[in-house]
Amino acid sequence: MASLPKASQKATPPAYRSTSERPSTVGLVAEGFREIASRRRLIRYLVQADMKKKGANTVLGNVWWVIDPLMLMIVYVVLVTVITQRPQPDYPLFIFSAILPWKWFTSTVSDAVTSVTGQERLIKQLHFPKLVLPVASTFSGVTSFVFGLIPLGLLLVLFYSDRITPYLLLIPVVAFVQLVLSMGLAIGVSAVNVFYRDLGNAIRHFLRLWFYLSPALYSAEQISSLGVDDPTITFLFGLNPFTILFESYRNVIYAGTPPMWGPLLALLAVSVAITCLATWGFKRLEPAFAKVL
Amino acid sequence: MTAPTTPGAAEAGTPGAVPPAPTRPEAVGFDGLPTATPPPAPDPAADLPSVIEVRDLGIRYSLRLTRKNTLRNTFINMFRKREGPKEFWALRHVDFDLVQGQSLAVIGPNGAGKSTLLQVLAGILTPSEGGVIVRGQVSSLLTLGAGFDQDLTGRENILLAGAFLGMDHREVLDRLEPIIEFADLGEFIDAPIKTYSSGMRARLGFSIATSVDPDVLLLDEVLATGDAIFRAKSKARILELVRSAKAIVLVTHDMGWVTEFCNRAMLIEKGAVIANGEPADVVAIHLEHAEEAKRAKLEQIRRYGGEAPKLAR
Ligand SMILES: Nc1ncnc2c1ncn2[C@@H]1O[C@H](COP(=O)(O)OP(=O)(O)OP(=O)(O)O)[C@@H](O)[C@H]1O
Ligand SMILES: [Mg+2]
Repeated sequence: MASLPKASQKATPPAYRSTSERPSTVGLVAEGFREIASRRRLIRYLVQADMKKKGANTVLGNVWWVIDPLMLMIVYVVLVTVITQRPQPDYPLFIFSAILPWKWFTSTVSDAVTSVTGQERLIKQLHFPKLVLPVASTFSGVTSFVFGLIPLGLLLVLFYSDRITPYLLLIPVVAFVQLVLSMGLAIGVSAVNVFYRDLGNAIRHFLRLWFYLSPALYSAEQISSLGVDDPTITFLFGLNPFTILFESYRNVIYAGTPPMWGPLLALLAVSVAITCLATWGFKRLEPAFAKVL
Repeated sequence: MTAPTTPGAAEAGTPGAVPPAPTRPEAVGFDGLPTATPPPAPDPAADLPSVIEVRDLGIRYSLRLTRKNTLRNTFINMFRKREGPKEFWALRHVDFDLVQGQSLAVIGPNGAGKSTLLQVLAGILTPSEGGVIVRGQVSSLLTLGAGFDQDLTGRENILLAGAFLGMDHREVLDRLEPIIEFADLGEFIDAPIKTYSSGMRARLGFSIATSVDPDVLLLDEVLATGDAIFRAKSKARILELVRSAKAIVLVTHDMGWVTEFCNRAMLIEKGAVIANGEPADVVAIHLEHAEEAKRAKLEQIRRYGGEAPKLAR
C-alpha cells in the first residue's frame, strides 16, 4: 500500500471558506454547469447503478419497460372508446405517441424528487457536487423512453406501416427539448424536497392534473374548437409545455408532418432558462443540505 | 502489505525543519497491538506553514428547518405561534492553527461538536460565522461505507466511491487491486454489497477511504472496525498515513489513541474550545471534567433516594 502513487495533486487553491463571500448569480450557475461537466463519469456510474437496480428487482427485468407503456395504452384505448364512442382514427398510435413521453417525464420527475434526500448519509460524510444526483436521475429516465421506442416500432411496423415517414427521425429533436425541460424541473424539485419532504405527494397529484389538462388523450384541435368564443382558453392551453411537446411528437409519429418548429424553439429557450434558474437555486440551497438532512 | 518506512522518510520533504523521527520502540499497547510513539511535535521556533487555520468559527443549526419539515406543517404553522428555540450553535468562537507535522486529537463528551468540526474541515458544512482555510488534499474518513450502493458489487462500489471522491478514472483503476487486496474479501468482492456482513462492509469502506494519500487526514472514530486481524492491519495502515500526511485531526473517545497517535490535543465542550495543547495535559483536564460530571450525577441519584432519576418520556 505504501508504494501507491500519490493521489493526483489537483492544485487545490487554499480556499478560505466563510459565509462572507458569495459568488455572483452567473458565477453560481457557471459553477454548477462546470461541476456537472467535470463529474460525467460519476453521473454515468449513477445511471448504470439505477438501471441495474430497476432491472434486477423485477422478474422480467427490462421487459417491463416494453410492456408497461403498451398496457397503459390498452387501458386508455378501451376507456376513451367506451366514453366518447368516436375516437381519433388509429387511436392506439395516437395515444401511444403521448403516453411514451409522458411516462418518461413523470418517472424522471418522481425519481428526481428523492434523488438528493436518498443520499442523506453520503451528503453528511463527503463533500461532492450534489448537482450530479438530480442530473443522474434525469439521464436514467431517458432509458425508459428509449426502451419504450421498441413497442412503438413494433406498433408502427405491424399495424400502421402506412404511417411510417422520414419525420420519425425527428423524434430525438423533440425529445431533446423535453430532456432540457425535465432537467430543469428535476434539479428544482430535488432541492426543494430537502426542505419539504412531502413534495413528492404534492407533485404526484399535480402531475395527474397536468396530464388531463394536456392534449394526450384528445387533440389540441378539440380544445381550440371548445374555445372558439373564449380565446383565453386557447391561449392558456398553448402555454402548456406539454401541448407543444405532445403535438410535436404526434406530428412526427402519427401525422407524418414536421414538428411545431416555432413553439418548440420557444419552449427550448424557456427550458434552458428554467434549468439555469433551477441550478442557481440549487447552488444557493446546497450549503444547507448537510445541515437539514 | 506494508512496506517498511525508514525513520524520518516522512519528514524528508520538509526542508530541514524537523528532526529525524526516533526509531519506534517495539512495545505492545493497551489493546495487545504494537504501539507507536506519536510523531515528534514540530519545533515551534521553526516557521512551518500552517495547514489548517480556523478563525472564530461558528456553526449554527436552524432547528426549524431541521425537524422533518413538510409543506403541510409549514402551512399549519403559518397560523400558529411557534415556540421553542429557533437556532442552536454547535460550535462557537473556535480558533486554532495546525501546522505541518502536527496531529491533533479532538476529545470531548457526546454532542460537544467534534464531528461537526470535522465536517467543516472536510468542506461538508459551510461556516455560519468566521471561516477556515485548509491547504492541500483532504481525506475524510468520517464514517466508512456511507455511499455504498446495496445492489452493486464490491468492485463496482470501489469505482463508484472513487468517482464520488473525485479521483481520475486511471487513478481509480490503479488503486483497484491494492484496495481489493487490502479488504481481503475473497470472491465476495464480486457479490452485491447487500450480501455482506457489517464487518465486511466496514473492511471495504476502510480500504477505500485509506487508499488516498491525503495531505490532511480527518478521522472520526473509525478505528475500531472489523475483527482482530483486520484491526491490526488497519492500525498499521493508519500509522502509515499518520506518518505520511502533513496534518491529522482525529476524533476519539479512547484516550489511549490520543497519547499514542497525537502530538497535540484539543478539548471541546458544548461547542467551545476548553483546552488546547499537550495531549497529556488536555486528557487530564478532560478526565477531571468527566469525573466531576460523574460525581454530580451520583449526587443527583442520592438526592432522589437511591433511585436513578426517571427518564422523561
Ligand atoms: N443536523 C443537525 N441539526 C441540529 N442539530 C444538530 C445536527 N447535527 C448535530 N447537531 C447537534 O450539534 C451538536 C454537536 O454534534 P456532533 O455530532 O458534532 O457531536 P460530537 O461531539 O461528534 O458527539 P459524539 O461524541 O456523540 O460523536 C449536538 O448537540 C447535536 O445535537
Ligand atoms: Mg461524533
